[in-house]
Amino acid sequence: MTVLQEPVQAAIWQALNHYAYRDAVFLAERLYAEVHSEEALFLLATCYYRSGKAYKAYRLLKGHSCTTPQCKYLLAKCCVDLSKLAEGEQILSGGVLNKQKSHDDIVMEFGDSACFTLSLLGHVYCKTDRLAKGSECYQKSLSLNPFLWSPFESLCEIGEKPDPDQTFKLTSLQNFSSCLPNTCTTVVSNHNISHRQPESVLMETPQDTIELNRINLESSNSKYSSLNSDSSMSYIDSAVISSDSVPLGSGTAILSKQAQNKPKTGRSLLGGPAALSPLTPSFGILPLETPSPGDGSYLQNYTNSSSVIDVPSTGAPSKKTVSRISQAGTKSVFSQSGNSREVTPVLVAQTQSSGPQTSTTPQVLSPTIAAPPNALPRRSSRLFTSDSSTTKENSKKLKMKFPPKIPNRKTKSKTNKGGITQPNLNDSLEITKLDSSIISEGKISTVAPQIQAFTLQKAAAEGLMSLLRDMGKGYLALCSYNCKEAINILSHLPSHHYNTGWVLCQIGRAYFELAEYMQAERIFSEVRRIENYRVEGMEIYSTTLWHLQKDVALSVLSKDLTDMDKNSPEAWCAAGNCFSLQREHDIAIKFFQRAIQVDPNYAYAYTLLGHEFVLTEELDKALACFRNAIRVNPRHYNAWYGLGMIYYKQEKFSLAEMHFQKALDINPQSSVLLCHIGVVQHALKKSEKALDTLNKAINIDPKNPLCKFHRASVLFANEKYKVSLGARGSLEIPVAGNGVPWELNVHRSPWGAPGLAGRAWDMGSICFGKCLPHQGGIKCFDWNKIWGRQVLLFKLLF
Amino acid sequence: MTTPNKTPPGADPKQLERTGTVREIGSQAVWSLSSCKPGFGVDQLRDDNLETYWQSDGSQPHLVNIQFRRKTTVKTLCIYADYKSDESYTPSKISVRVGNNFHNLQEIRQLELVEPSGWIHVPLTDTHKKPIRTFMIQIAVLANHQNGRDTHMRQIKVYTPVEESSIGKFPRCTTVDFMMYRSIR
Repeated sequence: MTVLQEPVQAAIWQALNHYAYRDAVFLAERLYAEVHSEEALFLLATCYYRSGKAYKAYRLLKGHSCTTPQCKYLLAKCCVDLSKLAEGEQILSGGVLNKQKSHDDIVMEFGDSACFTLSLLGHVYCKTDRLAKGSECYQKSLSLNPFLWSPFESLCEIGEKPDPDQTFKLTSLQNFSSCLPNTCTTVVSNHNISHRQPESVLMETPQDTIELNRINLESSNSKYSSLNSDSSMSYIDSAVISSDSVPLGSGTAILSKQAQNKPKTGRSLLGGPAALSPLTPSFGILPLETPSPGDGSYLQNYTNSSSVIDVPSTGAPSKKTVSRISQAGTKSVFSQSGNSREVTPVLVAQTQSSGPQTSTTPQVLSPTIAAPPNALPRRSSRLFTSDSSTTKENSKKLKMKFPPKIPNRKTKSKTNKGGITQPNLNDSLEITKLDSSIISEGKISTVAPQIQAFTLQKAAAEGLMSLLRDMGKGYLALCSYNCKEAINILSHLPSHHYNTGWVLCQIGRAYFELAEYMQAERIFSEVRRIENYRVEGMEIYSTTLWHLQKDVALSVLSKDLTDMDKNSPEAWCAAGNCFSLQREHDIAIKFFQRAIQVDPNYAYAYTLLGHEFVLTEELDKALACFRNAIRVNPRHYNAWYGLGMIYYKQEKFSLAEMHFQKALDINPQSSVLLCHIGVVQHALKKSEKALDTLNKAINIDPKNPLCKFHRASVLFANEKYKVSLGARGSLEIPVAGNGVPWELNVHRSPWGAPGLAGRAWDMGSICFGKCLPHQGGIKCFDWNKIWGRQVLLFKLLF
Repeated sequence: MTTPNKTPPGADPKQLERTGTVREIGSQAVWSLSSCKPGFGVDQLRDDNLETYWQSDGSQPHLVNIQFRRKTTVKTLCIYADYKSDESYTPSKISVRVGNNFHNLQEIRQLELVEPSGWIHVPLTDTHKKPIRTFMIQIAVLANHQNGRDTHMRQIKVYTPVEESSIGKFPRCTTVDFMMYRSIR
């Protein structure tokens, strides 16, 4: 019965890998109907989830018992997607009421996918207000797998300060090799499902893979005799099986042809030039004589995360061609090594192969190659190993069983390989063995190339780690609102990473938080130019344009975003900002509400809606909106500020001060916030404190004119002026920025005294004069009657 | 006054809104009419569409009552009237009354319209030249052109001045450079 599944499973995987979800779902449903195994259930649920129907996967898995970790993980993921957080938590860790599993239990249970499980669990905890537990989970997840960025990001966002240097490092080889296969297998699935799933797929075949790898190894050797015999053996296997499965057999034949045809082209692309170029990426491809993607031997070697280590085999193309032509059997062998393909593309992806195009082709090739022939090796292995092939078997267990099961020959070669790779890899991990065997393949069996290969691989991962460290530092600085530092760190990234949407958006946001809107706008327009499909971060851009009152640019942005993605809250926030700028507050409110509908967990939409309600004087609704924003994200200082503003409008000054202070605790660098606090303190009659605060604000951002203005008004209100300068009361003050004339308008004089007036000319000199009370504006302006008071007043201003 | 000058049309109130100095608050009020023809009622008066109109169906004076939930500052009233399309239905004499309730109304403005052809801005100020604060506004159509009995009114908008925060500590800035720093959004 299990034998029946193989081609079907392979076909389903092939469909999934080609995003043909209808096909995959249909086949998976047939498979599940035929075989009610948990593996088939998992496969069906995966098909549903990948096709975007999380609810189907959820209901399916709920309706049947899920005991395997992969099913549990997928079910928990569906629960979280459907916002059923309690249920998700229960599945992963035993729930709130029951005894909860510790992290170690989870690691034990989920094994290689524990890092993702913990990340998901951390997410659940954070969403349910248990930040301490959440951050613990994230930390643990990161310690298991430093390649994950999202737990680090989440930690920064909840206010923790994880240390990027500690987090993003390859602590030990064990970790390194353990992450890779895990992550790589999950990357295949694109949904971070437990790697067990591909493992289960591979389950029948790991032996084969080792076998294949060994065969591959030997095949690339000059020991063609052994190769012949091996390949013939595997050929026999395929022959045995092919009688039952003609199409698959033909598949491999086709494959062999493919493999034959590809090599030359691939080789030239990935060959020497890549190695020689000074711009070789620090990870992604390894700069050695990489065999062509289509090359059979390359394929074998490729199983190891683009570590194209294939030195010996690439020695002479002729050698290759010989090996290629020598037997068609080798092709089928290579194709059989397609099992490991499941691993390969992932590994490559994992190390973020930003390398040349061809590096991706093997990934594409390999799944295609992998799928049909998978059946063959599995069967062949089954023929040899009778009791190792239950579908649900723990992969580790299976691998343990590995060595004894493999026929002597294979065992010998395996241990041989093992011997070779011992010095390099920790042998406690079977997958490591797998890797090592893969690494070692294609070599003349000497130690040096393997070590070289491995160090190259490690170097690639190190390259990524150092990049992540830098980016982590930058992101951490940004989340703690040390914006200048963040900009500094991120600007020092290598230029090819700097000029990507994510990095530029973070820098743009940093400028935004510093209230340097011109700079922010410049950066964001660059983002739009290079990555016009990016919506994350565009809400900040829209607010920047709102501040700068650039209505045309803002309306273009909002139109483009809403056309592109109607399901993103950022697009609707941009649209709302656009109409808010046009003072059409009702329409803006409508769009912000739409943003909330699209994503109820998006805090900024609530904040913007709150601001709109304030502008339409519906303060109760505004209060509710800001409170919602804080509920979603307690570190959203804009919402705290909004609450403070409402209380200020309602003249509840102490409440206002408290809320502004909370906002300031989150973002201590904001001069606008400090300015507001100063004003409120003055309203509370704490003028000394007000002056301190305003002075601090001016120190942080000397360009903020309102701080100075408010400081002047506080001083004026306290009548702190003394007789000062001479008759000429004009001061030459460089106008910060443009030298454009600006007007400072205070026509209502709340203190009953004549108000201020000021006018700057292009060269930046500012003259103040006494403003005659009736005119109530800047117009009146009697230069000759400068009085000491006023002179001092604007001296205080600047 | 041999040939009375035609009432010139005022600016589109949308322009007024865009200055940010006023805000339309008709949505915060309860509107009622003394009479109306079915299908030509309050909704047509408040639908932002100049093609639709309110048609009264009773005896003069025809009244539009605007009642706020709380005492509201009203700066301007904007009425759209078009002689060319409404002819004898076009109002010619309008009286604006304010007060706390129906029994408490006091006329504060009376205006004569001569062949209006667009928006008419009616600033409502009290004796101190400040915008009025009131619970209720009543617009009474006392007479129509050509002595028509019923009246058409196409659109009415009510504007309140946008207040700065209560004490006026955050001044109205006019340039972008200042406004950038006014608030966090």
